[in-house]
Amino acid sequence: MIAVVARVMWLGLLRDRGALMLAFVLPPLMFLVFAEVFSGAGDSDLEMRVAVFDEVGTPLTGRIADAIVELDGIVPVAAGSDSGTPSIERLEALVRQGQADAAVWVRAEPDGNLDADPPVVVIGDASRALAAAVVTGRVQRVLQSEFPSLGVARAASLIDALAGPYTEDQQEALDLALSELDPAALEDQDGDTSQDGLVAQRLLGGGREIDDGVSYYAGAVAILFLLFAAMQGAISLIDERNSGIVDRLVAGPGGYTVVVVGKGLFLTLQGLAQAALIFAVAWWLYGIDWLGHFGPWLVTAVLAAAVSAWLGLLLASMCSSRQQAQTASAFVVLILSAVGGSMMPRFLMPGWLRELGWFTPNAWVIESWHGIFWRGDGPAELATGWGVLGATALGAMLISVWLAHRLAREK
Amino acid sequence: MSRADNEPILEIESIAFAYRDKPVLREVNLDLAPGRILALLGPNGAGKSTLIRCICGRLQPDSGRVRVAGNNPLENAAARAATGLVPQQIALYSHLTVAENLAVFARLAGVARKAVDSAVAETVDVCDLGAVATRPAGRLSGGWQRRVNIGCAMSHSPRLLILDEPTVGIDPPAREEIEKLLTRLAGNGLAVLMTSHDLTQLETLADGVAFLSEGRIAATGTPSGLIREFFGARRDCRVSLADPPTRELAQRLGALGLASGDRDALHWAGLLDEQPAWKLQSALPAEAQVTEVRVRRPGLDSLWTRLYGRDPERAA
Repeated sequence: MIAVVARVMWLGLLRDRGALMLAFVLPPLMFLVFAEVFSGAGDSDLEMRVAVFDEVGTPLTGRIADAIVELDGIVPVAAGSDSGTPSIERLEALVRQGQADAAVWVRAEPDGNLDADPPVVVIGDASRALAAAVVTGRVQRVLQSEFPSLGVARAASLIDALAGPYTEDQQEALDLALSELDPAALEDQDGDTSQDGLVAQRLLGGGREIDDGVSYYAGAVAILFLLFAAMQGAISLIDERNSGIVDRLVAGPGGYTVVVVGKGLFLTLQGLAQAALIFAVAWWLYGIDWLGHFGPWLVTAVLAAAVSAWLGLLLASMCSSRQQAQTASAFVVLILSAVGGSMMPRFLMPGWLRELGWFTPNAWVIESWHGIFWRGDGPAELATGWGVLGATALGAMLISVWLAHRLAREK
Repeated sequence: MSRADNEPILEIESIAFAYRDKPVLREVNLDLAPGRILALLGPNGAGKSTLIRCICGRLQPDSGRVRVAGNNPLENAAARAATGLVPQQIALYSHLTVAENLAVFARLAGVARKAVDSAVAETVDVCDLGAVATRPAGRLSGGWQRRVNIGCAMSHSPRLLILDEPTVGIDPPAREEIEKLLTRLAGNGLAVLMTSHDLTQLETLADGVAFLSEGRIAATGTPSGLIREFFGARRDCRVSLADPPTRELAQRLGALGLASGDRDALHWAGLLDEQPAWKLQSALPAEAQVTEVRVRRPGLDSLWTRLYGRDPERAA
């Protein structure tokens, strides 16, 4: 008897394609996304987009810049703008706008002068401090392994300052040793942290009195739950179809289209309220300047809510049963959220997954809100994101309304 | 009633419809005047649902025309506004009260916002829903839900009410209440088109019936007129036996004009003239193990059996 019950369950699963996908396709897909992110997070496989600017232009600094660019796991980003030459401002802009995870600024030729500022500066964004730390570590490692004489020279200068000065013979011997130093001699040393003062790290946007990740996660969590709530709300469309309410309505003058549009309006308002609640908490407890950026936030929130609502309604319009819609919505929301950056920052993802993220509303919503609160982006910078979200919402709405019209008038 | 009141609210002229080249409706003609109740009958697949969809403006007939209140419901919102549809399912928002349901469907059917309250009050009154107006629809008994289901199709004061199996799944007292309601609505001038498998109910409720068979109107008229037309003075006779009959008994039953359709030949039926019918019991041999002899005037179920070659119970 127990086996009979198990067989009924098995047949139910086997004949429900949605449940089958949820049970056996979604888990490996989600694993793939997480594995791609976290298998690379602990070593040099973690891909970082880095802009390198050699301001000095000597043979040595050129070789340093080339060595950094050629490192495994570094994806070079052009440091110069389309029309101009590279500059420190351009580097900062690339990092702030998220086009580069970090930037390396070679501002002086390394020498033994301990009083001089570190010749290499890694510029990162405080909201992605992990990326800056990873790049800093890699730069330090390449300097130690490829240019060991630089560190030793600075160490010798330190000894000279503390216990020196060196005699002429000692200085000659030191110079000779430095010139003949074999890079392999220091290759095996752990180079994640450098005591030689060659590399400095500068984080942009730091120093604000808020948790640097809050603006990112407020957006990431908001769009995740907007999508979940909209998908659940949209399923009422199927209930109404199955209960005969739709039959009743399509026989009337308004037809079914008004019902679909009405639901779209409600789900948009519901999403707006959800987003407002999350950002109100972020403002109250974490000090996000919500009210100071309320206008751009509101536009983004309306678009995020609209895109969630209409994607939910589109999915419900395409499903024939509540069970099918629930399965499909869980599938879609989890995949969109994982790839789009709602579950982990996209800069941790490999390049192909990052690019794939641009096909999700999550990435555009998160990027827009993050830009507003972190970089202070205005309408000009946000226009592309708003355009993509608006076009997606409009497209989903038009298809949903068309499907509703087709259901009502079976010509 | 004025002359205009007697003009058909629903006119169907020679409509035909085919689905993927398979004819579903063929040359269907029907009229329905205000104050009349017309029952559309037929087994599954006869074309009832397709015909209702054409009347509601959801399907464009391949030929012929449908007019509701003088307009094509497919193109004209006023024609659709003149129609109220009661689906077979309980098409209500279960979490809303009865009054809220009435208001929602009134608005969706085009009643102006300011007129909604009075429309709800009128529907509550006409459909006698006062006792449950403030209760959530999902918590009502099956009979009340059926009445509210009808009320929601009435909240915009349609001129044509279409009901799909309005009494399915409810007990006899509740069914009686629905009958009374429909009779009252028709008495107020509403044209009622309904489908039902409850043929006994329709004999008293419907002014007219139309039997659909393979997309055609196989018979139409008043219930009593059709029964008279098809059966005259003959009686519907049935004999049930406790054991399968001997060859002699079977021959005797056949000679009386009865036939058996079941494998064990326990049930025999046939239409007999009035005199032989009343003498049926005495005509049976004494040794026959008869459990029931029934003689009655034919009804719509007899007509159904005659038209479709099977009992109505097997129609669904």
